[in-house]
Amino acid sequence: MIMEPLDLYADIYDLVVKCCTDISPDVKKIMQNAIEVESSPTARSMMQAMLDDVKLAQEKDKPLCQSPGFPAVYVTFGDGTRPGNIKELFAKALVTATKNGYMRPSMVHPLTRSNPGDNSGVRVPNFEFDYVPEQEFLDITLSFKGCGAELGNAMKIFTTAQLGKDYSGLKRFVLETVTKAGGVPCPPIGLGIGIGGQMDVACRLSRRGISTRRWDDSNPDSLYASLESELLQAINRLGIGPAGTGGDTTALAVKIEGASTHTAIAPVAISFHCWTARRAGIRLYPDGKREEIL
Amino acid sequence: MDRVIETPLTADDISCLKIGDVVYLKGIIYTSRDMAHMTIKDKLDKGQSLPVDFRGAAVFHAGPVVRKTDTGWKLGVIGPTSSIRMEPYAEMVGELGVKAIIGKGGMHDKSRDAFQRYGQVYLQAAPGCAALLADGIEKIEEVHWFDLGMPEALWVLKAKKFGPLVVAMDSRGNSIYQDIRNKAQETIDLLYRPA
Repeated sequence: MIMEPLDLYADIYDLVVKCCTDISPDVKKIMQNAIEVESSPTARSMMQAMLDDVKLAQEKDKPLCQSPGFPAVYVTFGDGTRPGNIKELFAKALVTATKNGYMRPSMVHPLTRSNPGDNSGVRVPNFEFDYVPEQEFLDITLSFKGCGAELGNAMKIFTTAQLGKDYSGLKRFVLETVTKAGGVPCPPIGLGIGIGGQMDVACRLSRRGISTRRWDDSNPDSLYASLESELLQAINRLGIGPAGTGGDTTALAVKIEGASTHTAIAPVAISFHCWTARRAGIRLYPDGKREEIL
Repeated sequence: MDRVIETPLTADDISCLKIGDVVYLKGIIYTSRDMAHMTIKDKLDKGQSLPVDFRGAAVFHAGPVVRKTDTGWKLGVIGPTSSIRMEPYAEMVGELGVKAIIGKGGMHDKSRDAFQRYGQVYLQAAPGCAALLADGIEKIEEVHWFDLGMPEALWVLKAKKFGPLVVAMDSRGNSIYQDIRNKAQETIDLLYRPA
C-alpha cells in the first residue's frame, strides 16, 4: 500500500516547525555536560548563550537560528509502506513554514543567485530514499544542516599509503580540516566522516552520519567506534572552542559511516554540522500508529 | 558593568579595543552579505552613489528573518553568517569608512591588514543564537536592495543593546583566530607526526 498522502502532511509540517525551533535533546544534554567541564569562562558563557537561545526560541515560537540551513530528508520504506507523494508534501510544508515566519527564504539558483522568496527550488529538500523490502513501517527523518558548516567540508581520495600507519594520514586530514574551518562552522561542531565507496558515496555517508544519528550513540562497528572516540578527543585538544574564540569544547560528536571501496582508493569525506542539531523523525505504520524517532 | 559603544564609531572608540574584550553596540547597524557587498562594489565601479553612509558604521554579516506588516518591517530573528565569504572586499570596506564588522568565524590576512590600515575591529557574535541576538535590536529602520532577496538585502537596524560581541580581531593586527590556528597546528604535529 501507499501511505495516505493527506495523513502525512500534518506530520511533515510538524517536523519542519520542530526543526526550526528546537535542537535534538541528546545534543542539549551533551552541551550541558560540556559546560560543566569547560575550563574557559568565555567558552562556558558562549555555550550557555546557545542553550538560552534555544529556550527563547521555544518560548517565543521563533526560529532559533536565522538560517534554516539546507533541509534534507532521509526516508526508509518497505513494500507495504511506500512514501507516496512525500516530495510534494515536503516542498509544500517548507513553503508554508516560510510564509509563517519559521524559515528565512534561503534557497537560491546556484548561478544567478535569484531567490524565489519561499524556499521552493529544484531538488529542495534534498531526499535520500532507502528501500528495505520487508520493512513494515515508514521512517522519515528531517535534518536542517547549517551552510556555514558546509563551507568547511572537505573530500579527498586517499591511497593505501596515504592512509598511513594506524590511519595517521586520515587523522591528520580530519584535524587539519577542523583547524582550517576554525569558527566558521559554528562550533561546537558535530563531525560526520564518510569512508569508502566512490566520491559521492563517501560524501553522502559523511552527511548522513552526522545528520541522522543521535550524537550520544555509539558505533556498532568497533574500529569506527574507537576512531570516533579518538578523533573526538583529539579535536577537543585543538583549542578552537565554541564560536571559534577558544576553549576545550570544539566538537560534541564524531560520527563515522563506512562502505567497501575499490582496492586502489580510500575516499574520505568530512561534513561539518553546526551546534544547532536540528533533526526530527517519525515512524509511521500502515495502521496509522505513529512514533517519534531520534 | 557592560561596555556599550555607540554608532557612528570614532577612531578612538576602535583604538582602545583589544582582542578578548566584550562589548555591546547601540545605534544604527547595517547588514550586508555576499550580494550587498557585490552590489556596493558594482556601484562604486560605476561611480554611482550608495544608499547609506558607511563612515563610522558597524556592518553586520547577517541575513534576518523579517515580516512585513501594515506598520512596516518587523524583525523575527537575526544572527551572524560566516564572514570569510566577504574577505575579498576587505579593502573596499575599509575605504568606505566602516569601523566595526560583526560576524562569525573571523576573517583572514587581507582583512587583518585592512583593520590595521583603516582602524577597524572584528566582533564575533554568538553563532546560531538568532532569537537571543534579536532581543538587542529595537527595530528595522528601512531596507535597501530588497530585490536581492531577504537574506542578501541591506537592512538598516536600530540596536538598543546588541551583543554580547567578542573583539576577535583588533586594529593592531591581532587575531584570536590566527593565534588559535597556530596553536592547533602545533597540537596536530604533536599528536600525529607528518608522514
